[in-house]
Amino acid sequence: AVLKKRLVKLVVNFLFYFRTDEAEPIGALLLEHCRITKEEENVFSISFVEEPERKYCFECDSKEQCQEWIEALKRASYEFMRRSLIFYRNEIQKMTGKDPLEQYGISEEARFQLGTHKQ
Amino acid sequence: MKLNERSVAHYATCDSPADHAGFLRKRVERHHHHAHHHHATSYQRRWFVLKGNLLFYFEERESREPVGLVVLEGCTVELCEAAEEFAFAIRFDDAGARAYVLVADGQAAMEAWVKALSRASFDYMRLVVRELEKQLEEACKSLAACCKSPRRSSSGRKRHLSNPALLPLQEKPAVLENGYSTWGSGSGVPGGAACPDRDGGHAKPPPLPPRRRSAASSTVGSPVPGISPAMPESPVSPETACFSKLHSWYGQEIVALRREWQERQKMGHL
Repeated sequence: AVLKKRLVKLVVNFLFYFRTDEAEPIGALLLEHCRITKEEENVFSISFVEEPERKYCFECDSKEQCQEWIEALKRASYEFMRRSLIFYRNEIQKMTGKDPLEQYGISEEARFQLGTHKQ
Repeated sequence: MKLNERSVAHYATCDSPADHAGFLRKRVERHHHHAHHHHATSYQRRWFVLKGNLLFYFEERESREPVGLVVLEGCTVELCEAAEEFAFAIRFDDAGARAYVLVADGQAAMEAWVKALSRASFDYMRLVVRELEKQLEEACKSLAACCKSPRRSSSGRKRHLSNPALLPLQEKPAVLENGYSTWGSGSGVPGGAACPDRDGGHAKPPPLPPRRRSAASSTVGSPVPGISPAMPESPVSPETACFSKLHSWYGQEIVALRREWQERQKMGHL
């Protein structure tokens, strides 16, 4: 496989990639329903639920850089954050008896519910 | 600009619950060089689906792939002074980006959409998560302080602070370390966790994925405990310029785009 040098930017749940001397991205990956895997030395890959054999591989300059990216990318999806929020909300509620989202007036929002939300 | 379209379309259409959905009429935007000509404003009825910070729109409710995508970052959602009633607009901080003018069926629908869209950004979610993380840390600290001093155990009815044995801190949800956000499926095995159509996740909340034991997960390291320190700062800086490009690419209905490419190919342009 040919590796091309790219500038890679994680912006919310998108991974943009650029040719190193260009200001506009040449592509993007939406990071939802994806899996980040450590491959061989300094390499990680991103693959998606519906096509798990297709891997987008990235080689880093160091073991540390590789680990940093893996950690960041694993937390990059909106869905990951949503689950974290639901978890924290639940924990706080169990410990304090209060729903922490009430003070923001968002406790009824569909996106924060434990169960499925109706449309 | 390339995009992992197939994955995007899959995310848009799979059974993971939408945060909001419904028909809206979308104003057709004219290109700038047409600005001098008077075109009657027209609207197209589309099926819109909001998932997280992404607003997808489809030609039909049953369409298998979206014809457009709006990334809701760096934008404001506001009521609109259009000739149409129940109109609202999504406008971006990036001045060059196109706005989206949408028309709902009625007052209630419009209000519901504006509310859902204005809280849809990733940044907003992140803010709330960080706030809750802090609150949980504080709750745990004050609980720990309470436990140090001798306490009579309660009659057992109290839900929270009295009985240390009930502390939920032992639960370490694997969800915090699992970047594999499968909906309804517990498996982290490649190929084994396609977005489920089985129960469609209707009856119950998504189960927490079990800790992956495969070698691929070995880099996860120690489990993130319930009271983790603030999540490490990811190298993120919201830049709407990138999204404008994505919008203008995706915003031109894909069909039109393909047609253009085909014409250009025919004419021998590269």
